[in-house]
Amino acid sequence: MSSRQLRTTELPTAVRAIVVLGLIYLFLIGVSSLETGIKIMGEDTQERLFSAASNPVAALCIGVLGTVLVQSSSASTSIIVGLVASGAIGVDGAVPMIMGANIGTTVTNTLVSLGHIRQSNEFRRAFAAATVHDFFNVLAVAILLPIELLFGTISGIAQWISERLVGAEGTEWKSPVKAWVKEPVSVLQDLWESFGSSNTLHGILMVVTGLVIVLSALTLITRNMRTLVADQVERSVNALLSRGGGAIALLLGLVITIAVQSSSITTSILIPLAGAGVISLRNAYPVTLGANVGTTITALLASLAASSPEALTVALAHTTFNVAGILLLYVLPFFRDVPIRAAELLADTAVERRSSAVAYVAFVFIVLPLIGVVVLG
Amino acid sequence: MVLEFLRRGSNDGGFDHIVAKAVSMLGDARHSFDLATLALLTDSDPTEVSEDIWATDRRINEAEQQLRAELIVHVAVHGTADIGSVMGFTLLLKKIERIGDQAKNILEIAENGPGLSDAVRNDDLRTERQTVSAMFAEAGELLGDADASEAAVDDFAERAHVMTTDLQNRIDELMNSDRPGREVIPLAFYHRFVRRIVANLAGVVRTSAEPVHHLDEVDDTDD
Repeated sequence: MSSRQLRTTELPTAVRAIVVLGLIYLFLIGVSSLETGIKIMGEDTQERLFSAASNPVAALCIGVLGTVLVQSSSASTSIIVGLVASGAIGVDGAVPMIMGANIGTTVTNTLVSLGHIRQSNEFRRAFAAATVHDFFNVLAVAILLPIELLFGTISGIAQWISERLVGAEGTEWKSPVKAWVKEPVSVLQDLWESFGSSNTLHGILMVVTGLVIVLSALTLITRNMRTLVADQVERSVNALLSRGGGAIALLLGLVITIAVQSSSITTSILIPLAGAGVISLRNAYPVTLGANVGTTITALLASLAASSPEALTVALAHTTFNVAGILLLYVLPFFRDVPIRAAELLADTAVERRSSAVAYVAFVFIVLPLIGVVVLG
Repeated sequence: MVLEFLRRGSNDGGFDHIVAKAVSMLGDARHSFDLATLALLTDSDPTEVSEDIWATDRRINEAEQQLRAELIVHVAVHGTADIGSVMGFTLLLKKIERIGDQAKNILEIAENGPGLSDAVRNDDLRTERQTVSAMFAEAGELLGDADASEAAVDDFAERAHVMTTDLQNRIDELMNSDRPGREVIPLAFYHRFVRRIVANLAGVVRTSAEPVHHLDEVDDTDD
């Protein structure tokens, strides 16, 4: 087929790989700028800005809303890591936010599934494949957030690992990555300092710069990595289709997500496949769980640019939460079918009344978290 | 499949693999055609080849299904940049799958009718059978060659057109023939299925060169 030779990538693979390394460096500069900016703002401003996070349910809702806004849990969790590193919020406040980010990230593939809304059967399959991710994350939060609030289990495990890796909380961790990004962050700091003497303004400018760098770098990393590994993704998804789901599918979701630095990419690839009936809900489900764990790599990476062990603790809490969710809801046979059945039920309802699908997205991802923030924040 | 991810490949996102598989499907379709026509045009027992033809057809259908799924995966992963090729491949695979069905139809004539071993001009039918069989190989070569020249494609399409026109003329002749029904009906059906097979082979070759046909080149075979 003549056109099969026409697809080209503008950049050679080696050049693209170097570009990605440069973007990762830029991403780390962004996280460090964010941390520095918040520190410059001072404790009073921090207190005013982040007081809402003191209520865990409000923090959860902030996590959902923030992630829906940036359409990436990798971005929102990296920002949370930056906030923890600056001391603006503690590990206790950040863990519910991280859980909220996990829920918020599922909006992307749910929105993708709405693209199939005109064809009943296709929509049923696509919507179920998308919302199984929602149900898993909501159930995981429903079970693990109370446990975390009562016993501090998730943060406790994360802290235990963190202490063994970089030392106890409250101490200064001499991260080599932090040293690599110190110089460009100082340049940014000097640049914004020349615009005014107010600490608040200086801090805001640093925070905004950090946010822009983090979001842009992550978007470009994802875009470039997607191009770099597209053929591998295609081959491995084809292998998944011929060999079925299970633990290997979970591992595949993990590897693809680490490679493309976005769980939304991984889960969104599954939606048209599920819609066309190429992949079953049961085989797609473990891939989304792997993607949940894979996406935590970005926050771990971000924590390398931070100077406090708490940042690593929060990043590890993200991983611990997702692994615990899988152990609880996927490994235990009793729970395994719950998200699948719930997703199928919701998909049946959505097919009968299409407006309910749109209402579901608006309510779960926008209205409910907004109410949570306004009432409890 | 995780190792599948880690393995670096040199193919262009799965299309080479799809072409190779499509060529193999054409080989299977040719095998079915050869067996079915042999059963119809000679004295050999159709029941001896029936199982083989059905198994080959199942293999063709399974391959078509698998490749269609792989094309959907390709679009899901790479986006719509290759949508023209993907549509072309979908059409092409369907045409090969139909050829498998039409070979089965020829087998059915052999199984349920008097056969054509004693038909008038049987030698011509056997020669024609060999020509069509060779066209399968030629279509496979053109499909597998990403740099196939437009002239080669046009030449194949032209020969196919001449053959389908001739077959249609023969069908029209048989429709108005005074010869007994048990003589002309199986022959007319046979010509009809061979005509469809040749048209589909031309469609495969044409689609491999040009995924979406111009309106004036659309295959009008009602299959």
